[in-house]
Amino acid sequence: MTTEREPLLEVKDLRVSYGAIRALSGVSLKVYEGEIVSVIGSNGAGKSTLMNAIMGMVRREAGEVRLSGSLLDSRSYRVVQQGVSLSPEGRKVFAPLTVLENLRMGAFPRGGQGSIGEDLEWVFTLFPRLKERIGQYAGTLSGGEQQMLAIGRALMSRPRVLLLDEPSLGLAPIIIKDIFKELRLINNEGVTILLVEQNARQALLLSDRGYVLQTGEMVMDGPSQELLANPEIKAAYLGAGGEKAIRSVKH
Amino acid sequence: MATLIQQIINGLSLGSVYALIAVGYSLVYSILLFSNFAHGGFLVIGGYFCYGSLRLLGAGIWTAGALALIGAGFAAVLTERLAYRPIRERTNVTLYLLIASMGMNIVIENIFVIIVGGRFRALPPVIPTTPVSVMGLATTSAFDLISLLSAVVFLGALQLFLSKTRWGLAIRAAAYDLRTAGLMGVNVNLLISIVFFVAGFLAAVGGIFLSVRYTLYPQLGAITIKAFVAAVIGGLGSLPGAVIGSLILGLAEMLTAGFISSQMRDLVVFSLLVITLLVKPTGLFGKSVSEKV
Ligand SMILES: Nc1ncnc2c1ncn2[C@@H]1O[C@H](COP(=O)(O)OP(=O)(O)OP(=O)(O)O)[C@@H](O)[C@H]1O
Ligand SMILES: [Mg+2]
Repeated sequence: MTTEREPLLEVKDLRVSYGAIRALSGVSLKVYEGEIVSVIGSNGAGKSTLMNAIMGMVRREAGEVRLSGSLLDSRSYRVVQQGVSLSPEGRKVFAPLTVLENLRMGAFPRGGQGSIGEDLEWVFTLFPRLKERIGQYAGTLSGGEQQMLAIGRALMSRPRVLLLDEPSLGLAPIIIKDIFKELRLINNEGVTILLVEQNARQALLLSDRGYVLQTGEMVMDGPSQELLANPEIKAAYLGAGGEKAIRSVKH
Repeated sequence: MATLIQQIINGLSLGSVYALIAVGYSLVYSILLFSNFAHGGFLVIGGYFCYGSLRLLGAGIWTAGALALIGAGFAAVLTERLAYRPIRERTNVTLYLLIASMGMNIVIENIFVIIVGGRFRALPPVIPTTPVSVMGLATTSAFDLISLLSAVVFLGALQLFLSKTRWGLAIRAAAYDLRTAGLMGVNVNLLISIVFFVAGFLAAVGGIFLSVRYTLYPQLGAITIKAFVAAVIGGLGSLPGAVIGSLILGLAEMLTAGFISSQMRDLVVFSLLVITLLVKPTGLFGKSVSEKV
C-alpha cells in the first residue's frame, strides 16, 4: 500500500440518479493494467448504471472517472475514442445488420485510418463461429453467438479497457464456460477487463479482484479467491450450490 | 394505349419526386421515431434558394440547383439544432418533437410569406418541357423524363451512401438502435445532423421539380402530405418502402387523372392510405412494432 501504482481505470465517488431515484451513491473502484476485475451484485444493485456511467451513456452527477490518470469524457463517443468500450447488457447487436457489419460498427471510431483486417482476424480467432456466420444477420444468431458478437464488436475499437455487462445473461452453462474461457484469452493478449455479473461464481472464478455492489454502494472488495471463500458472500451471492462447492475446500 | 404509357411515365415521374421527399421523411423517422412535419418547409426553402439564385444572382440551373440543395440541407440541420435537439436532450417522448415540427413548418412558411410574399412565382424556364416521343409509342414531356432521371440518380446515390460508407453504415445501425450506435463511438448528434442534411438536400431536389411543375409559393410544402402518405403506405422508416409507396401513389394519381378525372386524384390517394392502414397498418415494408426495442 505504500507504492501506489496508478490504476488504468479509476472510478471515484461516482453518483448517478434517475430523477429522484438514486442508483449509485458514491461508488469507487480501481482497475489496474492487465487485471480482470469483477463487480458482483444482485438485481437493481446498480451494475448496469455503473457501466453506463463510465461510458457516458447516463449522466454522472458527481464524482469522476479517469483512464491512466486523465479524465474520461462525458460524451460516449469520446470515451470509446479514449480507449474504453462496452459489451452491453442484453448484447444489443444490430439485428438487421450482418455479423461483418456489426464488427465494422465496432471499429467506427478508428475512422478510415488503417485496415480493420487484422482486428477482424483477431476476433475470428477468438470466436471462429463468427467467421462461419460472417454474412448472416445478427438477429438470426443464437444467444451465445450474439454474445460473442457483442464482445467481438467491443474489441474492434482496440480498447485498453473492455467493459462487460452480464455476458452470461440467459446463456446455457456450457456456452458461459466457452465465453469466459475466451475472456481469459482476451485478457492474456493485453486487454484489461472490468466485468459486472449476477453470476457471481463465474465472475469471481475468472477475475483477479472483485467488488460487491449493493443498492448503489460498494460494500466489500478484495481478491476474488477471498470473496469466494467469504461466508457472507457465499450466503448472499453464491447460492446453495456455491456454498457446497466452497465448503468442500474449507475445513 | 398511348395515353396509358404516357400516364405511366407521368405517374413514375411524379412518384419519383414524391420518393425524394418521402425518403427524407422516412430517414428522419427511422432515427428519431417522429414524423417531421417541417419537412415540407425544407422543400420550400430549396425552391426559393433555387428561384433566388436564378433571378437575383443570375446563376445557371446547375449553380442554382447546387445552392438550393446545400442551402436546404443546412436549413434542415439548423431546424434540428434549434427546435429538436433541445427537446431530445430533455425527454424521450417523441410527441414533443412531432409538435415542434408542426410549429417549425408554420415558422418556415411564414418567414417566406413575410420576406418574399405569398404570391405564386414561376421559375424561369430552366428545365426543358418540350414534348418527347417515347419510342414512337407515346409522347411525354422532357420535364417528366428529366425529373424521373434525376430522382433515380439521387436515390441511387443515397443507396450507395447508405450501403458503402462508414457513416451510411452508422445510419443503418442507428435506425435500429440509436443508443447502441452511440456506444460504438458514433457522435450521435453529428449523425442526426447528417441525416437532416440528407433529408433537406433530397427534399430540395423534389422542391425544384415541384416548383417547375406547380409554381412556387410558401405553402408548396403542403404537398409533402402526399409523400408522407407514400411513406406510410411503404412503411414508415423503410427506405425501399418509401420509394415503392411513392411510385404507387404517383401512378395511382396519374392513372386516375388520365382515365377517370383529375378531381378524383386526392380521393384515390387517401383511399389508398386508409386501405393500407386497415389491411397492414405497418405499411408494405414496415417493421412490426415488436421488432423495434
Ligand atoms: N432508466 C432508468 N430510469 C429510472 N430508474 C432506473 C433506470 N435504469 C435503472 N434504474 C434504477 O436504478 C437502479 C439500478 O439499476 P441497474 O440497471 O443499474 O441495476 P443492475 O444492477 O444492472 O440490475 P440487473 O442485474 O437487473 O441488470 C434500479 O433500482 C433501477 O430500477
Ligand atoms: Mg444490469
